[in-house]
Amino acid sequence: MSILTIAEAASQIAARKLSPVELAEAQLERIRRLDPAIDSFLLVTGERALADARAAEARQMAGTLRGKLDGIPIAHKDIYGTAGIRTTAHSKLLEHNVPTRDAHTVKKWADAGTVMLGKLATHEFAFGGPSFDLPWPPARNPWNREHFTAGSSSGTGAAIAAGLILGGTGSDTGGSIRGPAALCGIAGIKPTYGLSSRTGILPLAFTLDHAGPMAWTAEDCALLLQGMAGHDPEDPASVDRPVADFTAELGKVVKGLRIGVVRHFYETDHRASDATRAGIEGALDFFRREGAEVRDITLSPAADYHAVGYLLMVTEAYALHAPWLRERFTDYGELFRDRVALAATVSGPDIVQAMRRRRVLCLEMAAAMENLDILVSASQAGEAPRIADVPKWANMEKPSFTMPFNVTGFPAISICTGYGEGGLPVAVQLAGKPFGEPTLFRAAHAYEAAMPWRKRRPSMCG
Amino acid sequence: MSTSEIDKDELGRLLARSGHRLTPTQIEAILPGAAIFRRMVERVNAPLPREAEPALVFDVEQGR
Repeated sequence: MSILTIAEAASQIAARKLSPVELAEAQLERIRRLDPAIDSFLLVTGERALADARAAEARQMAGTLRGKLDGIPIAHKDIYGTAGIRTTAHSKLLEHNVPTRDAHTVKKWADAGTVMLGKLATHEFAFGGPSFDLPWPPARNPWNREHFTAGSSSGTGAAIAAGLILGGTGSDTGGSIRGPAALCGIAGIKPTYGLSSRTGILPLAFTLDHAGPMAWTAEDCALLLQGMAGHDPEDPASVDRPVADFTAELGKVVKGLRIGVVRHFYETDHRASDATRAGIEGALDFFRREGAEVRDITLSPAADYHAVGYLLMVTEAYALHAPWLRERFTDYGELFRDRVALAATVSGPDIVQAMRRRRVLCLEMAAAMENLDILVSASQAGEAPRIADVPKWANMEKPSFTMPFNVTGFPAISICTGYGEGGLPVAVQLAGKPFGEPTLFRAAHAYEAAMPWRKRRPSMCG
Repeated sequence: MSTSEIDKDELGRLLARSGHRLTPTQIEAILPGAAIFRRMVERVNAPLPREAEPALVFDVEQGR
């Protein structure tokens, strides 16, 4: 069976040309055959998957399918709570943790009829990685297993690129959806803050955490986000407003879109690789050709956004982990414990200053976007580095391209723009106005449909 | 020492103040990150207008 997108599989299931059971069995076989090389799964839930698939197939036969996610094989990042199924955060500290209830978003996807194949590798507590001192190895990049996936939704990125799942959950506190999407050559969206519930997902930093989907294409991300978004009174950040139709603008032309390019982020603040910059220029050329209005804009240096985000991220994480860090320091992996321990060096006024500057930056970005629909910048600086060569402090040394949109909460998607000299994917990041996801999907889908990049899979896929 | 520098003794004191009983080797392992982090803290502390309010209750639509 060839690797399908969610849109393709949904169409075939609706037409009764594809059996959800046969699809699930094929995916489980792919996992058995390919996952030992990339370690994207922490746990394969084969029996659960087949039970889900049989239920979907019964609905298919009865003509009562629940929608486009019914019968679609997915898996969850292992910080998403799953009732009765181990949820570890890839950490020794939660090695035997079995939640009693599903995360809100896990339940929503299950109610939509998805077929759960298992739980996916992450960086420890969605922050410490790539680590080799945890109970499970880090996920490997399917394009070259000696290379990094980025994190922290590392297993989700790897499993989708390898065709082991058609979609999966990620979380994004400073770029943890968009980073793996970029380095694994897939699509991943960090939705607007508050659009999707975090209830039941192990937190890293409350004011920066976002739950979102990852998939092979932007269109598939739109379908998955549709099944994930919505108000949840249990999540204090959850917004109570009607959920947009995320597929509404798919197929619409990009003519007339107003695009701002934050060129200084990836040319001077943190210079991206030649291939990454060429990929971004290629995307901008496409948008210009199609009639979009493209112009450069200037924001505060990426380092300003990064400093605010990083300080708040580690201090919020420290507030959660301090008791265990004091008593069980060495039960954490070195990367997580040493990064989060930095919070012990800041003062109360430092944190308030970060919160004050955060509002300044939010206002700046809102003002910049007043007459724009989309911001464009890099997603990652280049192709994936070798996993053994990722410096311990890599996520601090240079400013992140993704953190600005965690600081402001604006939605942002990473999509593939081709391949670099090493044969590994490069990417562009598109950001939108709050709740502007339909426009982001419109632009991302138009670009993907016009380019050849979605036709190529890692060679390990055969 | 410039304000952005931090040495092993100071880092050890700050960690101890927060209740961490770490070995000298463990403190040394954190030190390079602490220096980078201190530069971030300095950046965050650049002067702001006195009236700049914190994003105490985070609202993605604030300012709109």
